[in-house]
Amino acid sequence: MIKLYLLLFYEFFKIGLFTIGGGYASIPFLYFLVTKYNWFTNDELTNMLAISNITPGPIGINMATYTGYTTAGITGAIISTLSIVLAPFIITVLFIKLFNKFQSCIYTDYIFKGLKPAACALLTSIAIKLLYQTITGENFSFIIPSNIDTKDLFIFLALIIPFSFFKKNPLITILTGAILGIIFKPF
Amino acid sequence: MKKPSLFEIFYIFCFIGIQLLGGGYVIVPLLKKHIVDDKKWMSEDELVNFFAMSQCIPGIIAGNIAVCAGYRARKLLGAVAAISGIILPSFITILLLANILSKFTEYTYIQNAFGGIRIAVVVLIIITIKDLWSKSINSKFAYTLFFIILVLLLASNISPAIVILLSGIISVIFCSVMRKLHD
Repeated sequence: MIKLYLLLFYEFFKIGLFTIGGGYASIPFLYFLVTKYNWFTNDELTNMLAISNITPGPIGINMATYTGYTTAGITGAIISTLSIVLAPFIITVLFIKLFNKFQSCIYTDYIFKGLKPAACALLTSIAIKLLYQTITGENFSFIIPSNIDTKDLFIFLALIIPFSFFKKNPLITILTGAILGIIFKPF
Repeated sequence: MKKPSLFEIFYIFCFIGIQLLGGGYVIVPLLKKHIVDDKKWMSEDELVNFFAMSQCIPGIIAGNIAVCAGYRARKLLGAVAAISGIILPSFITILLLANILSKFTEYTYIQNAFGGIRIAVVVLIIITIKDLWSKSINSKFAYTLFFIILVLLLASNISPAIVILLSGIISVIFCSVMRKLHD
């Protein structure tokens, strides 16, 4: 158990440290945990993500609490939640103290020129892998899939087409997804 | 300006935490209302600066900006009070839901609903990428880096942390070389 707590601390401290550009950026790290440990499956993680999206609070914090709780109970929840905010907390406080120095340092700018595309690519790879997995039921590969689930493809198109025009509203998107699932999945 | 008590900071951020739905960016209008307009703990200019700053610091944006605001009001203890306030509502809601949820997933209806919800999550991620894209992919270098990393991620099981570290290093080298060439 102690080993599990330490692992949770290590993994979520790392997620906090490397998450650049908001809670969604922590998503690729969480999917990486699926391949590394047997804590949860891809489907379970996506369910958690949905819950985190429609409950109050920053998504990253919600995900940490949920993951910690499902893998190691209340203690696990406390450890992963505190670990994910620890590194950013220390860095933010240092940053405020040294703000002017950092702002004038050209290398900070250079680093972020590379980190932003990287964060974007991480999220894109997760979106592609998840979409492939939902629609074909298999893990991602570069081969063109043979069996496509038309129901899931239909739900995907019915969601992405209207919602890409509106301002992002997770609650409505997820509720619509749930309704479409209840209506079309049984057929 | 009278110094706010730690409990007051904790309480205000708890209240903001409850209202945070769907991602960190929502915290900006909430902070404007509660911290800038009502409490006057910081000016609007400072809020904008803090927001820009917390985007380029690792971590959750709402958490970082809470730390900034708390630190501004009462230094280190204020920062601790603010981050605790932001965390607490999420923490409690998720714990309550986690217990209920595992009991419900046996029903077919709920399973079907989650089948649809999982697709909705993919849609939300894609919409987020669209927003991020315009802000981050704005040069030939960014395009190239994006596609190289994407192919690398799809073809292998490389750790996201390694990807972030490598791109930071590559970017510093590339930008420095470009600057040398310009001079």
